[in-house]
Amino acid sequence: MKILVCAKQVPEVTNVQVDPETGTLNRDGVASILNPFCEYAMDLALELKEAEPDGEVEIVVLSMGPPQARAALLRCLEMGGDSAILVTDRKFAGADTWATALTICKIIEKLDGVDLILVGKHAIDGDTAQTGPMLAELLNIPQITYGVGLELDERKKRVRVRRENEGGFERVQMRMPGLVSVSKGAASRRVCSFESILDARAKDISVMTADDLGLDEAELGLQGSLTQVVKVFPPISKEAGRIVNGTDAIAAAHEVVGILKEKHFV
Amino acid sequence: MNEITSQQLPEVDFDSVRRIDGLNEISANYAPYLADESKLPHQGADYLFFPTNEAELAAIMREMNTRGANVTISGARTGLVGGCVPAGGAVVALDRFDKTVDIRWDDGTNEWRVTAEAAVTLKDLNDWANKKNFPGLQARANDETLAQLEQFKNDPRSFFYPPDPTEMSASLGGTVATNASGAASFKYKDTRNWIRRLHVILASGEMLDIPRGKYFATDGRKFTVIDSGGNPTILNLPGYDMPKTKNTAGFFAAPGMDMIDLFIGSEGLFGVVSQIEVALDQMHEGISVVQFLPSDTAALDFVIALRDEADFAPEFLEFYDGNALALLRAKQIDNPKFIDMPTIPEDAGAAIFYDISFNADDPNPDFSKLKEVTARCGSSLDNSWAGYERRDLARFRHFRHALPETVNAVIGERKKTYPGLHKLGTDLAVPNDSLREIWGFYRSKLDTAGLEWVAFGHIGDNHFHVNILPKDMDDLAKGLAIYRDFAEKAVALGGTVSAEHGVGKMKKKFLSVMYTPEQMNEMKALKLALDPKAMFNPGDILDFEGAAR
Amino acid sequence: MLLIDTNTCSGCRLCEKNCPFAAMLIVDEIAVVQDNCTLCGACANVCGEHSITIERAAATPEELAKFKGIFIWAECGESADGESLVPKKVTLELLAEARRLAEKTGEEIRVLVLSDERPVNTDDLFAHGADGVIRFVNKLLWPYSTDAYTTVISAMVAAKKPSIFLLGATPDGRDLGPRVAARLKLGLTADCTQLEINDEGQLIQTRPAFGGNIMASIVTPFSRPQMATVRPNVFAVSENPEIDRKGDIEDFDVALQRGVVRTKILEVEKVGETGGGIENAEVIVAGGQGLNSPDDLDMLRELADELGGTLAGSRPLVEAGWIPHTLQVGQSGITVSPKLYIAVGISGAVQHVVGMNGSGSIIAINNDPEAPIFKVADVGIVGDAAEVIPALIKEIREAKKAA
Repeated sequence: MKILVCAKQVPEVTNVQVDPETGTLNRDGVASILNPFCEYAMDLALELKEAEPDGEVEIVVLSMGPPQARAALLRCLEMGGDSAILVTDRKFAGADTWATALTICKIIEKLDGVDLILVGKHAIDGDTAQTGPMLAELLNIPQITYGVGLELDERKKRVRVRRENEGGFERVQMRMPGLVSVSKGAASRRVCSFESILDARAKDISVMTADDLGLDEAELGLQGSLTQVVKVFPPISKEAGRIVNGTDAIAAAHEVVGILKEKHFV
Repeated sequence: MNEITSQQLPEVDFDSVRRIDGLNEISANYAPYLADESKLPHQGADYLFFPTNEAELAAIMREMNTRGANVTISGARTGLVGGCVPAGGAVVALDRFDKTVDIRWDDGTNEWRVTAEAAVTLKDLNDWANKKNFPGLQARANDETLAQLEQFKNDPRSFFYPPDPTEMSASLGGTVATNASGAASFKYKDTRNWIRRLHVILASGEMLDIPRGKYFATDGRKFTVIDSGGNPTILNLPGYDMPKTKNTAGFFAAPGMDMIDLFIGSEGLFGVVSQIEVALDQMHEGISVVQFLPSDTAALDFVIALRDEADFAPEFLEFYDGNALALLRAKQIDNPKFIDMPTIPEDAGAAIFYDISFNADDPNPDFSKLKEVTARCGSSLDNSWAGYERRDLARFRHFRHALPETVNAVIGERKKTYPGLHKLGTDLAVPNDSLREIWGFYRSKLDTAGLEWVAFGHIGDNHFHVNILPKDMDDLAKGLAIYRDFAEKAVALGGTVSAEHGVGKMKKKFLSVMYTPEQMNEMKALKLALDPKAMFNPGDILDFEGAAR
Repeated sequence: MLLIDTNTCSGCRLCEKNCPFAAMLIVDEIAVVQDNCTLCGACANVCGEHSITIERAAATPEELAKFKGIFIWAECGESADGESLVPKKVTLELLAEARRLAEKTGEEIRVLVLSDERPVNTDDLFAHGADGVIRFVNKLLWPYSTDAYTTVISAMVAAKKPSIFLLGATPDGRDLGPRVAARLKLGLTADCTQLEINDEGQLIQTRPAFGGNIMASIVTPFSRPQMATVRPNVFAVSENPEIDRKGDIEDFDVALQRGVVRTKILEVEKVGETGGGIENAEVIVAGGQGLNSPDDLDMLRELADELGGTLAGSRPLVEAGWIPHTLQVGQSGITVSPKLYIAVGISGAVQHVVGMNGSGSIIAINNDPEAPIFKVADVGIVGDAAEVIPALIKEIREAKKAA
């Protein structure tokens, strides 16, 4: 069985700051990391692999991005992926979710026998959650979004996914091949051993470019995108509120309940 | 040269310095200034000052000296031995000493140096150095500093300030006062190693400007301080030798020593450190590894093998004994503070946490020697956690913090039943060849006494902390007795009673284990030579009966 | 343009059966497309041989101008008794916002309602500004499935050619939107929090990115409709619905085959603490990492009860298993906009703040005076929650007694 995990390299957004004057992102000193949700997708893939001790499950990791995105792939290989494909070309720059999904679709069509595609539910930089479902549609395969756990049926033809939704969870079954977008389940981020970090350096990372796709240049990158960003700006920040010293809890509570009364919450 | 002359600072009106009067007002609105991480009770304070520059500091000192009032210096209050807890008189809060003053390249030592005020935190200093952006410096700096700053920004390398006492919200001044060290001192040594110049405001209100490498003790152990009026004071250094471990117990003293070293680690007993020049080091890539081992003794073997045989130098070696891992395992299950901490393997009997150089881009890294050492100690690199990305390093740093936090939480819970209960934490260190012996001694004493305990910390310097977690007051008494045994044993092995926390108000009682009454008197005489009324930081290290009032 | 590869077509009739518009016929064992084809993509989606491809050439401005009207997908939930289906609150929010946009463009608003045979309350839709409803009833449309909804909605959009199509950015809305967009080759903007029409009549779609650290405004210049999913609880529902307002209901009949649906829900597990769910709560008391133990949640619940509110929390509590994810506020949880939000021991990382800064009043309790939550709080209490919360509960009870 072959599992393809799509991974994206993203800036560590917790450290991103916006220049209040220019409205641009200040990426100084911001590290590039593997998108956490892609990491959870890897985690579910590895759980399946570990559940099949006879070595039947092969995990291939794919990332579209600049050459530096190799680091994100390396991280996936350190976690236990078997091989990786880096899809990189300057012609891909500026791709929106449509152009990205189309590019990745063309690559996957060239791979043999992918049974299951796992993607993160969204990337923490774009926050769109669109590329996965668009990719599934272009590949014409079913999807289950917001998965937090998965298992194969006895015949390994179907996958059963525990899916988060607004009211709780659903258990959804899907014929393979299919795509699952992965949310954060209960587990914390997987930690690698020193041995697996060293082993990953010997694994294969192949590179594919625009020439390998068979697509017209007009379908790639910014040119092939259907949406355009016209402006970026920092969110409007609120004026600071009133601060109450809570050292004396009773006095503080009295003051706050006074405010609650004014606003008719009590 | 052994003579230094102190300088007068510009005259400032004492009453123009921001001041809060009276214990009532201070405890109502400025309560944090009455405590530090030691959680020791304070003995009152009559004034709280917020000076903004050295001249104001000097004005306070002159006035307090005249009034015969005590002065407790308050930095970030992260200390563990009560150094910032006032014992009457004035609290001088250095909060406003939070700026960078200068940056420059030193040709002689080939290093970048930053001059900063005392309350700058280690975290800020490192952030600024890392981002090569010192807030406000551009506006304050002269042309020469501006040119140097530009050159620093254009230097393609990354820099940091190496001393890392784990608590990075500590102030630079506080770490100078205690000669802080921490895990990284295994490679980078203690704070002393990185200090290049100090400004010290004396009890007289005059200032010493002490660069490293200019004033050395002569006639064995003598300095002379001459005030601006030309009056000399002779300083006779204590005659003891320093232990062969890292050490913060007692004033630094050695034949022919550099004067700057006398002030580093003196816990503010001679004056206020207001401004500090430090050296930065080049950042290099490394990997953090938490290596699990089958037992405590295997962990000790691993440390000794890494130290003596391996052809690479770990930045630090941190120890977690079996009890420490068991405590973490039990507490990590449902505590959201530990969500990012991976699950500790069930079969791990101890762990060594270390950092070594690692280039992530090297396609064929060779760690065969490490593999061999690890295998010989009964484990393998498979049985480890490792990471080199910043977020992983942060995650492992969290692992380092988790244990002391957990211990404090357990004690906090027990305090509800026994309000007088507290944890007993050792800060003892011994020379390299005594590591196995001291561990065996600790273990047998603790297990015989039937106490609950964990051991963790800087094993690279043979300086790990034993924390006793008393279940009741009876346990506490047993623990206190054992603590004294430990201190005596450590000193007998050529070690110290306080390797990094300082002595302050908490560890005074153990100083007599290490120093004779004559040596204690030498320290007192030195203190009184520089601070005749013993006004600085009363109650720390030395006791002066009624001297200041 | 729709292309059929006659070499690979097996004449299996799947496309004929699945074409919503009966625009595909099998003639001499080969598929032949008819003139009433809308290019909705349903045939290509079911073709096992990949014999059908749709080439969508870039449209000219004149062609784009022919697209008219604002469409909204009415995501429905079951009524309390399960006897009928009710459009979710986000539909009414979208209607209010669409009404505002329609003032500018002069276009009509139509709501797409997909359901099984149970009745759907459409009165509210008209009262809140819909000019019309396009309905399709089929037992395959409950519960929601990606495949059935993609097929029907794509058919509706392809046939009716609106200029704007909005969906709520709920889990199912974000599951469906990109499928429809990819099938019809439409630009799509995710999770919008502001919508405007510019001078050229384009929809300016503004959304947070980088975990809420930055806002981006996006246009869709080359395709119609302009599609966007819109974050729930950002736009206000109209406070003055026109109860008597009516509109037309059009039944839209398309072919929908069971074989289209490739997923099956085996089990549903509800985990919400309260019936209502936090997205509709008027008062929320939320806990964070600063709490000491799960027992602390009891006092938060008690405070919530006193204020008629609901308990919620930040991500760390979900990850520690203290509360279910259905109570998680924030970027990776639920966006809420209660009238009163009390944050207890929540530091206020931007990922949390984007999920709650639309709240009417925000009270924060935290012992760290530097906590960023105080930057968004109307009232901040610097203190120990274990002392402040019981004091608050006591004080509120006394105030109630006095009243």
